[in-house]
Amino acid sequence: MPSWHDFQPFIVTGLALGGVYALSGAGMVVLYRTTGVLNLAFGAVGAMGALIAWDLINNSLWPEWPSYGVAVLFCAAVTLAYGVVIGPALARRDALVKATATLGLALILLGTMSWIWSDKARSQVLPTSTHAFDVGQVAVTWTQVVAFGLGVVVVFGTAAFLKYTKLGTAMRGLANDREITATLGVPVRSVEAQAWLVSGILAGVSGLLLSDLVGLDAVSLTFLVISSLAAALIAQLRSLVVTFFAALGVGLVSAMATPITSISEYRNMAPFVLATIALLWISRKREISFTGTGLGNGRS
Amino acid sequence: MDAAEASHDSLMTRAMRPARNSDTGERIRLAVIAVLLAFVLLVLPSMLSAYWTDVATSVAIYTIVALGLALLMGRVGLVSLGQVAVLALGAWVGARLLFATGLPFPVVTIMTGLITMVLGSLIGLPALRVSGLYLALITLMLAGAITVVLATTDFPNGGAGFLGHTEATTGAHEIRRPSIATGEHAYFRYVVIWAALMFILALWHVRGKPGRAWATIRQSEPAALAAGINISLYKMWAFALASFMTGIAGALLAGSSGTLYNLTFPTQDSIILLAVVLMGGIYSLWGAVVAGLLIKLLPALLDNWGLPPDLLTILFGIGVIQVLTTAPAGLVDQFPKDMAKLGRFLWRLVGSPGARTPGTAGSE
Repeated sequence: MPSWHDFQPFIVTGLALGGVYALSGAGMVVLYRTTGVLNLAFGAVGAMGALIAWDLINNSLWPEWPSYGVAVLFCAAVTLAYGVVIGPALARRDALVKATATLGLALILLGTMSWIWSDKARSQVLPTSTHAFDVGQVAVTWTQVVAFGLGVVVVFGTAAFLKYTKLGTAMRGLANDREITATLGVPVRSVEAQAWLVSGILAGVSGLLLSDLVGLDAVSLTFLVISSLAAALIAQLRSLVVTFFAALGVGLVSAMATPITSISEYRNMAPFVLATIALLWISRKREISFTGTGLGNGRS
Repeated sequence: MDAAEASHDSLMTRAMRPARNSDTGERIRLAVIAVLLAFVLLVLPSMLSAYWTDVATSVAIYTIVALGLALLMGRVGLVSLGQVAVLALGAWVGARLLFATGLPFPVVTIMTGLITMVLGSLIGLPALRVSGLYLALITLMLAGAITVVLATTDFPNGGAGFLGHTEATTGAHEIRRPSIATGEHAYFRYVVIWAALMFILALWHVRGKPGRAWATIRQSEPAALAAGINISLYKMWAFALASFMTGIAGALLAGSSGTLYNLTFPTQDSIILLAVVLMGGIYSLWGAVVAGLLIKLLPALLDNWGLPPDLLTILFGIGVIQVLTTAPAGLVDQFPKDMAKLGRFLWRLVGSPGARTPGTAGSE
């Protein structure tokens, strides 16, 4: 068993990863609560954004920050376009159908990325990673600080936004009942479009941060969404605060398994295992009944 | 909405038709299938080079996998996003048993099917409590977990120990094939026979008591409950059947490739499989054949024409969205009109009696 000293660097890694998972988890939960769409293409969108930034910086020799801006804009545009064009067509369908359709978007993006950039693994170093400081004996990069900080700010900011603003109230209304909210005069399409836009921006930011923290590879970035999904699922796709802590948990458990050699190679299983246990625990008392079939039938 | 409902009705009658249709139409259909099967078994291999025989073998194997997923989705309304991981599991078990025992290949194949069935049913266990979206996500997570484990353990290649994997090239062996089917052509025929058996198994289930129970569950769980159907049992049954078929396909895949690699089972393949099964059509068993062709023949063709295979991934993505958006209500109840059209087109292609002329096909 490694000593406490060996774990220290991985606590930092875990918290940074957890921050990004919280960021993307919040993006997914807000979108799901507002539109009923669980965006499984979230990771693919972020991956494509990160690759675009990489391409602009390395091949077109653009300066860094405008490239990151273009990347985030791209993610926002793609997500918004999907939400505006495909979203309404599926609005009245089952949550499962909506989620499955986003897999279509994920495939389109995966195919495009693999076509343009091939499957080669790359690395992207954000300017924030060039500066580091020491906490005790552990070097902490500014990217790690930004990742964790953004996670905190976005999650608690969004929670406050949903609670105190008019748009937030409309979003919560939509989450409860789309029809009734529409009857009350809330412009449903416009509120949904804003949720898609915000979710797209979060996808872009998460993609950029992960490309630095984990590595720039289309497929792995696409499927890293599962880790944030795990956090969102532990929160039953409802509470942002629970999502935040679950995301930190997922990040910490996967990172801190690294120095333990016997389970190190299996550490990537952590999100799956945690989420599966959580789901089974949550659904332990559900029975098939005339009012529904347990989880997953409705949105609230 | 009327056209959509009409299409829905026609789907319903289509689904019910086989149960009460035992007249000459049925016999002609059987004859056509028999002729088609005879062609595939006797004539087709002699027309194909070793490379295309290999492709055809993969098509047959993935048809079995697609059949399992199509049964789950089309008949019961359960979505699994991890079938390729189950296939990888089947291939691992198959390869391990083939190295560990000297049992005949068909026996090992059946054993692999049964072991995968038990493992797959364990995955299906949560299906009894959670439903819909959550179940699909659990299967996605478990698929991810299986992929992580297999990335570490790797596939058996004749090494020692439980994992049976050796890094040394001297200790590695090819996975054996059945003694009656060591050549490419013979093995293709062998796989097609297994695929045909799986279709018979599927048909037997669909037309029997489980099929009726599944149809009721798919329509409405409360109705099924009221009708006294054991919902948990039949959902579990569906998962077990799909896993059994996927396990069989895994063993056949092990024999087909000789050496298994993790690269054969990328995580995105589970999603691509879902895409092609949706595009092929989940209510007709023929959909599985179409899915098999889409996922294995098209990439080979594109490769042959010098086009990037990534185009297909994009195409499948568009296909999923198109399939889902053109259907007005529910993956479970109503299957997209376009896929029904494709189904009808294929129906005519195989010479079903009572086939409508192209002019009226879309207006029923």
